[in-house]
Amino acid sequence: MTELKRRPDLVHDVAEVLVTEEQIQAKVRELGQRLATDYADTELTLVSVLKGSLPFMADLMRAIPIPVQIDLMEVSSYGGATTETSGLVRILKDLSSSIAGRDVLIVEDIIDTGLTLNYLLRYLRGKNPRSLRICALLDKPARRLVDIPIDYVGFTIPDQFVIGYGLDYGEFYRNLPFIGVLKPEVYEDR
Amino acid sequence: MSGQPRFAHASEAELARILDYYAVRWEYEPHTFPIQWNLDGAVVESFSPDFYLPELDLYVELTTLKQSLVRRKNRKLRRLRELYPDIRVKLFYGKDFKALMLKYGRFDVAASLSGLDGQTLAQEALAATAVASEPRIAKDAGPVDVIAPSAATAGEPTDPPAERRQRLSRGMRRRRARRTYRAAMLGLEAG
Repeated sequence: MTELKRRPDLVHDVAEVLVTEEQIQAKVRELGQRLATDYADTELTLVSVLKGSLPFMADLMRAIPIPVQIDLMEVSSYGGATTETSGLVRILKDLSSSIAGRDVLIVEDIIDTGLTLNYLLRYLRGKNPRSLRICALLDKPARRLVDIPIDYVGFTIPDQFVIGYGLDYGEFYRNLPFIGVLKPEVYEDR
Repeated sequence: MSGQPRFAHASEAELARILDYYAVRWEYEPHTFPIQWNLDGAVVESFSPDFYLPELDLYVELTTLKQSLVRRKNRKLRRLRELYPDIRVKLFYGKDFKALMLKYGRFDVAASLSGLDGQTLAQEALAATAVASEPRIAKDAGPVDVIAPSAATAGEPTDPPAERRQRLSRGMRRRRARRTYRAAMLGLEAG
């Protein structure tokens, strides 16, 4: 995990606001309505991929005016502790309920290389859901390695280091209410 | 998934580790694509993408060259796409790789890359007397697959490029590859 050399400054560490809080909330409402329409006659389970998708999941689920269930998963990330010990991605927190026969929507904060999502899809397909789709707040296709169709996208963003609304650098900045671009001197200084 | 070939650069070794981590199968320089021929029909230039991801049918080329020096790599990639339109190739520039290392908290790896050819600082010291444009050493596990372009897209024979890379003996290439790999592994272990 990246360790910061100094206490983060939530105001001055942000170079620019890429997506405002108002834009996020408007998009969340829009996605909620679409999901309610598309899943009107089904049993929908939202699966949130911790930790980055937590704010998005919390807002999205409340914007869907149909009955839904939620569950949480956490997957290890390259560069973290598991990289040194096992060298392989691991499920740090698995689903608490079966998704067999259910319509599942993976809720992600951002799709970047697609490597994590590719692994998750393969893992969850093995649990025999009736359907498996993806909803991502942010799509950053610049470094995409695995072309995975994203069924619901909030915003397509350029190749910039973004933080806020769940997205972090060194486990900080997640509590910003908007999506911002981190100043390069922050991660170059560490 | 990984037979640990002799990577030419530390960045390639790092990318292989990432792919291994996420259980994505890869092959290192398995295919060579001829992209230029002389008037006699002999291949004078070819392109061997760094990685092939068979499950994704995707080639990945990693270049950590300075942005001002990637023109040649871009030209080769354009030619490859012209001749082999069905081949999917993803090019990672130096800034892309650095951003990837930042994403994964491997900033030391990104920061250690410098120089003309993506070598680590340790490699630069070893290669201080090397010929400037050294041919990349492919894995020596056997003959590489040479992919011929389709008849509809093969270009007319062209003149040899103005610049030629100096040929080294097989023994020199192997010794250089071993030094490069050891330095790359030392660099990764230290980082």
